[in-house]
Amino acid sequence: MTKKEFAMPATPMFEARGLSKRYEDGVLALDRVSFSVRPGEIYAMLGGNGAGKTTTINLFLNFIEPTEGEARIDGIVTHQEPLKAKEKIAFVSENVMLYPNFTALQNLDYFTRLSGRVPPSKAEYREVLLRVGLQEDAHQKRLKGFSKGMRQKCGIAIAIMKNAPAILLDEPTSGLDPQAGFEFIRLLASLREEGKAILMSTHDIFRAKEVADIVGIMNRGKLVVQTPGAEIAGKDLEQLYMHHIAGHNGIAA
Amino acid sequence: MLRLIIEKELRDIVTSTKFAVTFASCAALILLAFFMGGARYHADVARYEAAQAENLKKIEGVTDWLQVRDNRIFLPPQPLATLVCGVSNDIGRTTQVRGRGELSQNETRYGDEPVFAMFRFLDLEFIFQIVLSLFAVVFAYDAVCGEKERGTLRLTFANPLPRRRYIAGKLIGAFLGLALPLLVPVLLGCLLLTQMGIPLSADEWVRLALIIGTGLLYFGAFLTIGIAVSALTVRSSSAFLALLVIWIAAVLILPRSAILLAGRAVDVPSLDDINAKKFRYQEQLFDEDRVKMSSFSPSSTGDMQKMVGEFQKFMTSISDEREKKMDEFSARLNEERANKQALQQSLALGIARVSPSAAFSLAAEALAGTSLTLKDHYLQAAKEYQQTFAKFMLDKTGMNPGGGMVFRIRIDDSQKSAPINPREIPPFVYRPMTLSEVLPSAVIDIGLLFVCTLLFFALAHLAFHRYDLR
Repeated sequence: MTKKEFAMPATPMFEARGLSKRYEDGVLALDRVSFSVRPGEIYAMLGGNGAGKTTTINLFLNFIEPTEGEARIDGIVTHQEPLKAKEKIAFVSENVMLYPNFTALQNLDYFTRLSGRVPPSKAEYREVLLRVGLQEDAHQKRLKGFSKGMRQKCGIAIAIMKNAPAILLDEPTSGLDPQAGFEFIRLLASLREEGKAILMSTHDIFRAKEVADIVGIMNRGKLVVQTPGAEIAGKDLEQLYMHHIAGHNGIAA
Repeated sequence: MLRLIIEKELRDIVTSTKFAVTFASCAALILLAFFMGGARYHADVARYEAAQAENLKKIEGVTDWLQVRDNRIFLPPQPLATLVCGVSNDIGRTTQVRGRGELSQNETRYGDEPVFAMFRFLDLEFIFQIVLSLFAVVFAYDAVCGEKERGTLRLTFANPLPRRRYIAGKLIGAFLGLALPLLVPVLLGCLLLTQMGIPLSADEWVRLALIIGTGLLYFGAFLTIGIAVSALTVRSSSAFLALLVIWIAAVLILPRSAILLAGRAVDVPSLDDINAKKFRYQEQLFDEDRVKMSSFSPSSTGDMQKMVGEFQKFMTSISDEREKKMDEFSARLNEERANKQALQQSLALGIARVSPSAAFSLAAEALAGTSLTLKDHYLQAAKEYQQTFAKFMLDKTGMNPGGGMVFRIRIDDSQKSAPINPREIPPFVYRPMTLSEVLPSAVIDIGLLFVCTLLFFALAHLAFHRYDLR
């Protein structure tokens, strides 16, 4: 995937500054994590279960508040001005669950209007659904019969319609078949081309390697490795991942 | 944004299979309640008219007004009582009115036809109180936690949406989505009443509208309770279980417990005790009268007519005196019992009002004129009629026969007297309670329902403000 060069603005779209989160039960889920994602960049957070990826996402969405540090979206501290920050962010969850009694178009319309956007024309909705790979005959169907891949496409369409500069993806390729995974990655690349900043958490090393500009490997709440995109091609990401994850977990690599 | 959430809720509810099934059942029940109410009203009117005719027939051919010792009066059927039965089937509809003495109401509907008492009638009160409150629970239990389980809450709050708007939108949307469609069968039911020729006055139409409005408020209260519980729980199964417990407590246990508690707190003597005391006192008075009767001696022994006249006068005087003493004694006992009963009743209702279900019942029955006051209202009307009847009998016979003995000796039996005209007896006209009379007591309970809804809305708001959206 080729990357279009953007003039890097001073403010990153996603920024974690010494971000820490200790839950009420005492578990330190995130330990002074810092990174940034600029417009036109894809940042892939890799890590096993409990590495802190979802906690990071929840902090950016202000579903939880940090114990220390800040999560910023376009310079806005999420826990200080959550509504303002959410205007600039679109989110796609691991398992996109929409309203099953609504059609794809109705779901898209609802979430687009919820994002604060003036509702566009039906033609624009159709165009976006087609762009994410949802065939026209599915647009007017209720979501209760949709496969996970189709729902995921709707989720992406909702994120695109919001037209937010920052896109947050939580395990977006989990459970998708290889074809759907490939199409999804292609879509991400095209969004990057449009200048979107994309932060995604994933288990999928190969997809991360394929599309990410920066890969951050997390383990036990710490960001243990951060590799710029240019260096990814030259490294064996799988080996790097296994080294850090397995090494930290005491498993022979 | 609020409008958008409301629209979404409306669409989400109305397009669900759950709604189609529950709405169809509720609509059928509501229409059935209206139809059965109308049919029952016509049957009650026929029974009432037959009883009145029978009452007059009973004294046809009687030639002396003194033979008309009493008159039976009947509580006429009320259209609203067939839609909200309240206690109307539990109180005696017939009263034996004499010129004086105590009045008792007999012949209750459930007493006459006990089979109906087994399952009671299907009326609007039952449908709102039991069926629609369950309907509200079924739709509200997963309003918040269900969205969390489905994963739509995360996606929703990834947008700049204030929590207070979301919860307000949920409540308003759910209320409009569920309550407004219910108005369709209710309006059809009203139309059915007019088609069935149920004579509802303007005052009664307003009261019926208020009953329906109160029902919807009660429905809203349960919806708010449901949303509050849903916002306090993480799993929809837990919310459903908690709501089921709340529903059972509010609808089935609290009102009954209130009666039990009040019964233990205030001891009201039973009617059997009171009647036994009255009976003993009456026996004592009769014994005293027998002594007086044995000492009676007429002033002249030659003139039979004069002797009978003197004896009648003597008997009337001791009868009046006995009745007066008996009335005073009964009044004292009745007042003591009534005071204790009123205290027990107000305590029971005060406790029961904690439950929105009881508050709704009390408001609906007050508006329909079938609350506990119906018994007193009917008794008061009967007492007023008793005075009219006594005056009529006094005019006709020169005396108020009451329950005492009347002696008449007819010497010349050659002339046949013409039969009396039973239609001369003044008719009993029952004036049902009006809106202005029933509204003050209903307003308290409507207010309580409103406060309950507001409190649970505030709770839902607070709970959702702290809700874990992850």
